[in-house]
Amino acid sequence: MYRGEPFIIRAYSGFGNAEECNPRYKKLLQWGADEIVMAIDLPTQVGYDSDHIMARGEVGKVGVAIDSLKDMEILFDGIPLNSLKRVSMLGNSFGPIALSLFIALGEKQGLRTTEYVIDLQNDILKEYVARGTYIFPIRPSIRVATDVVAYCAHHAPHWYPMTLCVNHMNAAGAGSTKATAFALANGLCYIQHLLDKGFGIDEIAPLLTMFLDERAEFFVAIANFRATRRVWANIMKERFGAKDPRSMALKITAYSHGGETLLEPVNNIARITLAALAYVLGGVQSLYNASYDEVLGVPTEEAAKISVRIQQILAHELGIADTVDPLGGSYFLETLTHRIEEDILENLTKVEDLGGAVEAIEKGYYLGAMSEGAVKRKKEFDKAARVSVGVNRFRTESEVPIGAFRIDSSVESKQIEGLNRLRKERNGRRVGESLQYIREVAKGVENLVPPILEAIRAYATVGEICDTLRDVYGEYQKREYFSSR
Amino acid sequence: MKRKTRVLIGKVGLDGHDVGARVVARALADEGMEVIYTGLRHTPEMIVKTAIEEGVDLIGISILSGSHMTFLPEIIQLLKQNHAGEIDLIAGGIIPAEDRPKLKKRGIKEVFFPETPMTQIVTYVKSLLEKKGGWS
Repeated sequence: MYRGEPFIIRAYSGFGNAEECNPRYKKLLQWGADEIVMAIDLPTQVGYDSDHIMARGEVGKVGVAIDSLKDMEILFDGIPLNSLKRVSMLGNSFGPIALSLFIALGEKQGLRTTEYVIDLQNDILKEYVARGTYIFPIRPSIRVATDVVAYCAHHAPHWYPMTLCVNHMNAAGAGSTKATAFALANGLCYIQHLLDKGFGIDEIAPLLTMFLDERAEFFVAIANFRATRRVWANIMKERFGAKDPRSMALKITAYSHGGETLLEPVNNIARITLAALAYVLGGVQSLYNASYDEVLGVPTEEAAKISVRIQQILAHELGIADTVDPLGGSYFLETLTHRIEEDILENLTKVEDLGGAVEAIEKGYYLGAMSEGAVKRKKEFDKAARVSVGVNRFRTESEVPIGAFRIDSSVESKQIEGLNRLRKERNGRRVGESLQYIREVAKGVENLVPPILEAIRAYATVGEICDTLRDVYGEYQKREYFSSR
Repeated sequence: MKRKTRVLIGKVGLDGHDVGARVVARALADEGMEVIYTGLRHTPEMIVKTAIEEGVDLIGISILSGSHMTFLPEIIQLLKQNHAGEIDLIAGGIIPAEDRPKLKKRGIKEVFFPETPMTQIVTYVKSLLEKKGGWS
């Protein structure tokens, strides 16, 4: 859609510590990836330093460990941020930290902010119902996330500071239509928050992206993208009175994954390719692919390369990406698009009737829909109504393969050593003052990015900054009771 | 009247994917058991403490982050130390098949995978609890 060039080829990658991961990033660049989406480990994602008690056993496991700017410098050594079309990190619970890590790194590399593009997920609301990397309670978290958009609207309007995610809520059972409605409702909540701060819709809407997802039905995926674009354009224009066409033109990212199997994993190459094809036909602006061996653990280099190659083949070899909306006019697809558009709007209205995203989350409405969907999916899978070739149909006795990629077991201790060294070498006073500055701003209403950027520049750690915010905002936690219906 | 069987479903470590945990919780609740789901990010200590507080018969841990060899044996150890060795432990998630015998040797009763049919999990849990003197 709105196509002057093919979709951006993203690669989601990260493991171990920065030193180990840097060569993989260099390889991704060599292979021709346009954007690196940093996979960061769980302690980082939930704001714990590598030496925190909760980080034990998790350092560098599902992504690269980032404790401070120092790790970013090592990770991007020899990779100037402007050598990529975009750089990205998920950073959902601490958007200002993710943003600041890139800005401070750009400064170290001698780049102006106009010379590179940052792209963040920074969508905290979905974390309370799926994925789970929240830190603070819901309401302060909305402020933390939207401060990033506000900062970029003023200082770097060519960046993408927030991605409204359908993907994880669909994966958690909502189904793509409901998940799309929920993601839109989450988006409306952020937008309203920013409008209340005095922004105009055309100052913020062009900075937002959606991460759409449909993994079970090829044509539904295409129709969902078309329908969501319409819904978005109408809401921006009619509800918010957007005038700038860039506000109405939804930018879509997607991740080709979802049906991969542990058994006969090479078949996943076909599954990922077909998912990617649907997304390209649906008009995706940026795309990333899972690796076929990702079900076994962190992707091997070979598998990561194949993922990039699949995207390049789709982008360049067959003319697939040359035409805008190539399937428009197909009666099947138009009917599906129309129906999905109505269903999205109906589900969005339900959330709004409950009082909007925050209330729907607090009342358990999102989770209820997801649990119901997840139970239904599991039942369908168990009786092979949802076919998984080689698993619940056409199964042969094949051995469960073993993941080939191993993370060096010394990562944790090496990372902690580095962290201790950093704490000794940096200017402790500057760190203390910057944390105090964060505390003051967090209690008030000013934007959180400037004080957090200052702390990151001073080599304050992710854990220290998050602890300061935890002191002010508290933490989110809850226990649930299930009984028979 | 005999009290209802109580099960604790928990997540240890930092992994935030709890679809599986919630689906299993729902399935066991539908069998008439009382199921307490801890929510995310618990330490083995927190799991054992909650299990004892809630007086459960069984703990089911969902783990997808690859840290099962660290956390699961630790829970067994802590249960013993707290004189709660009668509480059984089962686990499910992304756990390589090669680790299953190792975990069973360390006292974890059973390990399930994403593709394990739900009926198999439910049947297993019922038979395990029957061996312990029935469930209701």
